[in-house]
Amino acid sequence: MSTIFWEISKRNIRLHLLRSSLAMLGIVIGVVAIAAMGILGSSMVLMVSDTLSSVGDSVIVTPYSGGGGNPMGPSDGGPSGGSSGTMTSMKLTDQDFQKIKRIAAPNVAIPVLQTAEHMRVGVGSEDIVATMYGLPPEDVPGLLILSAGGYNSGESGCLVGSTFADDHNINVGSRISIGINGEKGTLRVTGIIEERGMSFDVSTDNAVVVTKDWFETTYDRNDEYDQVVVKVKSGDTADVKTAIENQFNRNPRQKTVSVTDSNELLATIYETFGTITTFVTAIGGISMIVAGVSIFNIMMMSVTERIKEIGIMRSIGTRKYGVMRMFLYEAAIIGVVGSVIGGVLSLVAGYAMSAFMLQTTKYLFTVSSMIPVVEGILFGIVVCLACGFYPAWQAANLNPIDALRHE
Amino acid sequence: MQPVIQFSDVTKIYPLRAGDVTALDHISFEVERGEFIAVMGPSGSGKSTLLNLMGCLDTPTSGDIFIGGSRVRDMSDDQLTDLRRDRIGFIFQYFNLFPLLNVIENVNFPLMLKSGTVVDPKKALEVLRAVQLEEELYTHTSLELSGGQQQRVAIARALINNPDILLCDEPTGNLDSRTGKSIMQLMTDLNKKGSTIIVITHDPMVAEYTKRTIRIEDGRIAS
Repeated sequence: MSTIFWEISKRNIRLHLLRSSLAMLGIVIGVVAIAAMGILGSSMVLMVSDTLSSVGDSVIVTPYSGGGGNPMGPSDGGPSGGSSGTMTSMKLTDQDFQKIKRIAAPNVAIPVLQTAEHMRVGVGSEDIVATMYGLPPEDVPGLLILSAGGYNSGESGCLVGSTFADDHNINVGSRISIGINGEKGTLRVTGIIEERGMSFDVSTDNAVVVTKDWFETTYDRNDEYDQVVVKVKSGDTADVKTAIENQFNRNPRQKTVSVTDSNELLATIYETFGTITTFVTAIGGISMIVAGVSIFNIMMMSVTERIKEIGIMRSIGTRKYGVMRMFLYEAAIIGVVGSVIGGVLSLVAGYAMSAFMLQTTKYLFTVSSMIPVVEGILFGIVVCLACGFYPAWQAANLNPIDALRHE
Repeated sequence: MQPVIQFSDVTKIYPLRAGDVTALDHISFEVERGEFIAVMGPSGSGKSTLLNLMGCLDTPTSGDIFIGGSRVRDMSDDQLTDLRRDRIGFIFQYFNLFPLLNVIENVNFPLMLKSGTVVDPKKALEVLRAVQLEEELYTHTSLELSGGQQQRVAIARALINNPDILLCDEPTGNLDSRTGKSIMQLMTDLNKKGSTIIVITHDPMVAEYTKRTIRIEDGRIAS
């Protein structure tokens, strides 16, 4: 890169250092805006992905409610239990469950009972309302991971979610009175469920999980379930979903169940986050366009100021391509230096934004978070070259005689 | 022997809104190797047009121009550019050095165009000595030189590629008479060593140094 044109370009930038620095500043801001937004978006996706990955590969079957299923769990009859009134028709029967089990085999199908209930933790504590799940004890280890204690085998035991345990100072061995004034009995906490975050099947972080038998006895629920969760270990969730829908919803006008594929939902969520990231990055891109206009303006000024010089060059034997190269080098120097500085500063900006908005910076130095930085740098360089191209082309195509006469 | 420059019935017309202007009207002449020619004439006579055509910066409306036997009309822009670089040396009234480059870089510029990279300054030093420029000025930029010194650098740049022709446009027009004389003496010396030199001027003092004078009036050769 030791051609005379490279040398002239470098020296011209040095000669007009303030002007060149301001142009670089525009590019720096553009790259920081794009890359920092990209880092934030990417970190957001990673964080959500971390939270939701544990609920992947599930198919959730709920009674059809007319407007599509509710993947976050069906509503129920309130604190007093839910087997009466119109909600009775919003349950899956044991026959339905057995049918789902057969369709999903060899994958495990887990019947889920759910309600909201009053309860008290410890003597003299306030009455609270929390979600209760009833699950077959043999299926719990396949669905939930414990952070403390053990799975309850007896009917008087229960598991509690990590947030619920933290909020109410519950440890393994603590006792919880169920119902208003403990009318439905007392349960002993045998284990704390590891945090699951947002989930599509059972959201246990703020809930109590009891055995299916205890739930059915206490709430007089026989052979009817709020949902069935199929943990797909073999095959594709989409295939399981289709198979269940084909069996239950043969007539599209008389659907009996809503089937939700957790992977499909995850894909939708990722797509939504991706769209948001693209949108905010595009907003950052506007600043890059402004920077590009500034580069264009500066390059046009540079050409105008050096018309005579171009005329001399052409007259003593510089080809058009040589003149063009000289101006493109100038744009490239501004672009590369500005973009690299912008790339470095975008890491600082990305760190600050992640710390402030996501409360964590652990996703900053990951491959997917670094991609926006590389993209920002490349985009900055491309914008500079693109904006320098027309002025360079114009300079190269000046009439040498007119250029020589220029004062 | 083949002429260095041959003009054959050359006409140059500039189309303007107010009407066409004929700058050169059916001009024919030849320049032999080793000649030292002054082209003289009043303002607007067509001197600059003639210089531009000889320097391959412009093309004729009709007629043919041959440089070293090659017909200019048949050449592409790149070929004409290379011809200017390799066979023609330009010396301008206002020196036209590159202010961002020092003396040696300015002189080496045509060589660097040819090689595409940095070249050995040996030849530049040789030419600079030939034009009698003080050595302590070699690393200075053109802005740090006097008019006479700048013109010597410009002559050195024009000579660096051993051109067939030196085309000079009022080379002393921006110099005091003493410096102008020394520059013309330098050109005389170069001509004695074999350089073909064509000087566009309206200064009779400059014409006195040349061996032949072409007078142009109203786009025609008067004598």
